[in-house]
Amino acid sequence: MSSTGTNTAAALPRAADERRMRVARTVLILIGTAGLLFGLYVLFDTVRVNRLPGVALWIGAAIVLHDAVVAPLVFFGGLLLRRAGRRVAGTIVLVVQGAIVVGSIMTLIVVPAFVAQSLTPNNPSILPLDYGRNLSLFWLGVALVATAASALLYARSRRANQRPSSRQS
Amino acid sequence: MYEAQRALASPVRNPRMAVVIGRLLGVAFILCFGTGLYSHFLQEPLAWMRFPTRPAQLYQFTQGTHIVAGIACFPLLLAKLYIVFPDLFQSPPVKSFLHLLERASIALFVGASLVQITIGLLNTYQWYPWPFPFREVHYALGWVLVGLLVLHIGIKLPTITRYWTREADTERGDTEHEATDAAGEVTTDVDAEQTVRRDAAKGEAVRLWGSRRPSGVTGRVIAWIDDTPTAQKPAPTPAVSRRGFLTTVGIACAAVVGLTAGQTFAPLDALNVFGPRKKGVGQQGVPVNRTAEEAKVTASATAAGWVLTLAAGEAERSFSRTELEAMPQTEVELPIACVEGWSQLAVWRGVRLSHLADLVDADPGASFCLISLEERGSFKKTEMGPEYVRDPLTLVALELNGETLDLQHGYPARMIAPGRPGVLQTKWLSRIEAITA
Repeated sequence: MSSTGTNTAAALPRAADERRMRVARTVLILIGTAGLLFGLYVLFDTVRVNRLPGVALWIGAAIVLHDAVVAPLVFFGGLLLRRAGRRVAGTIVLVVQGAIVVGSIMTLIVVPAFVAQSLTPNNPSILPLDYGRNLSLFWLGVALVATAASALLYARSRRANQRPSSRQS
Repeated sequence: MYEAQRALASPVRNPRMAVVIGRLLGVAFILCFGTGLYSHFLQEPLAWMRFPTRPAQLYQFTQGTHIVAGIACFPLLLAKLYIVFPDLFQSPPVKSFLHLLERASIALFVGASLVQITIGLLNTYQWYPWPFPFREVHYALGWVLVGLLVLHIGIKLPTITRYWTREADTERGDTEHEATDAAGEVTTDVDAEQTVRRDAAKGEAVRLWGSRRPSGVTGRVIAWIDDTPTAQKPAPTPAVSRRGFLTTVGIACAAVVGLTAGQTFAPLDALNVFGPRKKGVGQQGVPVNRTAEEAKVTASATAAGWVLTLAAGEAERSFSRTELEAMPQTEVELPIACVEGWSQLAVWRGVRLSHLADLVDADPGASFCLISLEERGSFKKTEMGPEYVRDPLTLVALELNGETLDLQHGYPARMIAPGRPGVLQTKWLSRIEAITA
């Protein structure tokens, strides 16, 4: 391709650029470290020492929960979907995947509201909506949109399949 | 480890995508941090700090932004983590002490980010299932995260600058028209893949191609290309995968924001089906943050002998509610805007605070201390700077939306001032003191 030359030129930046980059990185890393340390100072300054292990526990648990539970679930979910979706066009798999992701993220945000609702019955203006029903309707809407989009894509790929092959090569 | 990375390969897991999502997430973090800092200093001002009182909706806007950006962080952060997940299995796991520090900083960044947005969200639900105080930890983590963000940008700067703009080579597939012109699509993708292989030789962008082989038109064309002896296993339309990924993230952001932001942004009220508050829901059409029962004021606030005491130096005067009602009344339209992100515009009627301050000859430059009937609570006693005390919109409110103030809204009298967090609009007022410097 024609742009190979440009690419090589970009890979060999001039010494001045390299120096600028080094200075910028050093400044950012120093400022960032200062912000981090200030945050830790505020944490130790304002939170009682016996509460700090709880903060560390939550941060550690968040990492474990994501890396060992959520990410593998997403990975294997994606794998299953790819297998199941082998016979349809790739774009349809993407639509279904997208629908599941959008629905799951909304569920992640709304389910705690649903749980919290049962815990704070004394103030009727907090969490006043029917979150369970609304979430079900949301999933229904997502499913409908995804089905419609998939049907459209399927029809389109079938039409394309029926075209003479000369137009495809 | 390398095998694990290979297994996780996907067209969306590439440095360019990490930069695209990363900078959106960075913007959201900065918005959250800036608006959070503003809210923090409104509540705990340093001695020299003065704040703008106009526009009166300023705090509604900043705190609404805080919550909206925070909610958008859920899809953005998850997308970012999805993109960079294979980096978890880099091999060797640790190359040097600096590399160890870098990985530790990223682990802390990920963990603290997840905790920050989670406790922030649950705070809007007033649910606190963690063993530490919310306000202090949320504030400290804000600094920790903004520090880690700048640190992360510093560490990744070469990658960020390299992939900041769409590269003609690897990203050309994105500009092509989708699927309808399948052959053209695949040709660019194969081109892109060859570029990627060159990059891979340089140790970059190894993961640009995925392992999935699509069927349908594109799959057939790929199979056809497969049969040609020169081509290696071609990529499955990575451009389409990337577009699909970005579309998904975009829709998820639009959904979580669009279906909750109506709790503060009136035009979206009809779409507010998941917000923890709903406009117009609450006594007198205004949501309530802390109830009279929680504040334990039901008896003291309804006691017949209630008076509001104003003090400035030696001067001290007390007024019953009837006496306050006999004073010149002012009607203002101001929002009550909560730190939790909801807001509600309402009509308030009462006595200007500046009028009351003049009755006790308070120094025009004096800050005031507002004391509630609440027995305990972080906001039982708060301070108000002179810019608010002397503002013509600042009232000791006696009426709300044309009715006597409901007990849940601070009967017999409460503060209402422009551009202040709801927690500082002291309910169940008991005493107002000028602070002498």
